[in-house]
Amino acid sequence: MENRENPIDFPSFLASMAHDMKNSLNMLLNTLDEVVGSCTPDKCQSHRKLSLIQYEATRVNFNLIQLLTLYKMDRNQFSVNISHYPVVELIEDIILQNKPLLDFKEIGILTECPDDLTWFLDSNLVSGVINNILNNAYQYASKRILVRANEDRGWLVISVEDDGNGYPEEMLGAGIFKGRGVSFKTGSTGLGLYFSSMVAKLHKNKDREGYISISNGGAYGGGCFTITLP
Amino acid sequence: MLIDYKNKKILIIDDFSSFRRLMIRMLESFGAKNIDDAYSGDVAIQKMQDKAYDIILCDYNLGHDKKDGQQILEEAKHRNLIRYSSIFIMLTAENTMPMVMGAVEYQPDDYMIKPITKEMLTRRLEKNIKRKADFEEIENAIRSKEYMRAISLCEERAKNNPRYMLEYLRLKGDLCITTGLYDQAVSVFNEVLAMREIPWAKMGMGKVHFHREEYLMAIDMFRSVLDENKTYMEAYDWLAKTLQELGSLEEAQQVLLTATEISPKAILRHQTIGDISYKIDDYDTAEKAFKSAITIGKHSCFKSPSYYTGLARTMIKKDSSDEALTVLGSARNEFKANREALFQTVAMQGVVYKELNREEEAKKAIHEATRLLEKLSGRIPVDASLDLARVCFDLGEKDKGMEFVQNVVKNNHDNDKVLGMVQEVFRDARLEEEGADIVAAAKKEVIQMNNQGVGLIEEGKLKEAIEYFEKAAKGLPENKIINANAAQAFIMYMQKTGANDRYLYLASQFLDRIKNIDPSYDKYQKLLNMYERVAVSGKSPVG
Repeated sequence: MENRENPIDFPSFLASMAHDMKNSLNMLLNTLDEVVGSCTPDKCQSHRKLSLIQYEATRVNFNLIQLLTLYKMDRNQFSVNISHYPVVELIEDIILQNKPLLDFKEIGILTECPDDLTWFLDSNLVSGVINNILNNAYQYASKRILVRANEDRGWLVISVEDDGNGYPEEMLGAGIFKGRGVSFKTGSTGLGLYFSSMVAKLHKNKDREGYISISNGGAYGGGCFTITLP
Repeated sequence: MLIDYKNKKILIIDDFSSFRRLMIRMLESFGAKNIDDAYSGDVAIQKMQDKAYDIILCDYNLGHDKKDGQQILEEAKHRNLIRYSSIFIMLTAENTMPMVMGAVEYQPDDYMIKPITKEMLTRRLEKNIKRKADFEEIENAIRSKEYMRAISLCEERAKNNPRYMLEYLRLKGDLCITTGLYDQAVSVFNEVLAMREIPWAKMGMGKVHFHREEYLMAIDMFRSVLDENKTYMEAYDWLAKTLQELGSLEEAQQVLLTATEISPKAILRHQTIGDISYKIDDYDTAEKAFKSAITIGKHSCFKSPSYYTGLARTMIKKDSSDEALTVLGSARNEFKANREALFQTVAMQGVVYKELNREEEAKKAIHEATRLLEKLSGRIPVDASLDLARVCFDLGEKDKGMEFVQNVVKNNHDNDKVLGMVQEVFRDARLEEEGADIVAAAKKEVIQMNNQGVGLIEEGKLKEAIEYFEKAAKGLPENKIINANAAQAFIMYMQKTGANDRYLYLASQFLDRIKNIDPSYDKYQKLLNMYERVAVSGKSPVG
């Protein structure tokens, strides 16, 4: 029976559902990791299919993380945890996490980052952003992805470039990062970029605040995502 | 670096058994043999009591109404169940981990987001083991209370090891505050803030302002931390503490009530809310706060008799003295084996009985409290002692009351805040003149006593001086000057005859007491330097 007198707090309800789903998903992903680890492509016929499942489950996981983070930001229950972090470690960690999927997609990933570059950042949040972008890049890249990080006049610039067809024209220059243009019709891209721009903005130093940008071209002539942090 | 997991003692804390099994399988594949698991905070604490773990992997969210990972960490650290060399990694299902940021000393070594793969886990463990090794020497210095050495080590490392530069600076800043080196602390925090506006550096700066009684500047600092970071709980507590110093009790209460909404399980905060609310006659809020403290404290290491006595005091004001007695009854039960707690409880019983005009029972409480106080060594609770003195004066037991006051005065003869409280007791009892004489006499006695010991030092009778001051400090454990001179006598004696463990230990205890009473006391840092030189200059057998 519908009870209009006593409406539930729908956002909290969704958040707690998402949290529960995330628990199941963690188990699913961990178990898959074990299964895929013990079945090599030559011995196991289902290897490709298992990898596909792994890939899709990872995507769902990233989306849930974003959803929950955005929910907490919205409710003021979120604080950034900024630490002084070696950027190269951050990138290595991300590549390691993505290794099975990269192998599955047969995509080569190249990184360029000075060894001694350390930066003030929330490593979990920034990893979330890069993971998400990489995950999308798999869909569009054909063979190559380049992750680059360097310091430019007091800003940390991390970019992810691929050799795919690039971002569609209507996304470039749209106010999508500000949340205004999030279009649920175009799929997850809107949420991902919105999340990324929120994360960038949470990185502040004195009067400066982080931002993201997307363009086409770059090293491999495909899509190029950049997050710039003060 | 390759870690040998075979001898590592590992504990996994998670409410999902499937996750625990998975982690166990993963760690076993690394070669680990000694793995335990726990499904709840209570079980985990139990296990930590029995075994000193090298690696603890703890899920943050352990179910509704259960201890969360942060609480487990705090309790374990508070009860010394985690060694410095152990690694505590907090696991979360989401990215939103430090939902509530506690004080720096209660932060885990690392956070990891589930799902956790084998590769990620080994990498993180390696990283943390390496980091621990880098900090080991400093941590050892802190443990043996060689603070000055720890500070110079931090300084040196911050220059030579940019990877952990900020961590060294943070540690150095904290150490400078605890040892009262405020100028040095300010320059550390300024150095950091020039690079980046990091909350802990702002907090540190605020704390220095607080200690220097620059309260308005302290408030600005704490507020600016909160503007950026609503869940930085430590900032609420310091802001409220500063507001209290300025006499803005209502505002302090509001700040803490806001903090409680964000983090409802912090016991000490409930107690402070109770105390403040009582002072501003907001007895409903006080009652609620003390009751929360008692409920949350039931199974916590932070339980204290003051929640019960605070509630009892409040219930008297609410004309429910019977309930006050019931509360104290359960406190007596709860703290059977703890003399200091019992003393506080009995003192409050005296207050309640007097309030109810049950004179016989009030007198009985006074006598019980007297007996307990005689056996108390270490901290003498000022509030409870003065409460008792009030009851004694009201019941016409003037001499007894004077005894309690004298004890307080002698231990705090140079502490204006406490002496002001004493004066108030005398004023309420209309014993101002007589009281002033008592205070003067007690002060004079302590000064004479101190001078006599200092005389021994000056005459070079160091053996006599250490015996004299050891006894004096035992009688007046809270007295800053007596403890400082006791430390000095022991250090000078060791300079002459060589260091030994017993004397080093005693000296470090005296120094610790000064640190707790007033780290900015100028003699303290000098003594600390002297102590550390003696401690490293070699030891000779007890003589």
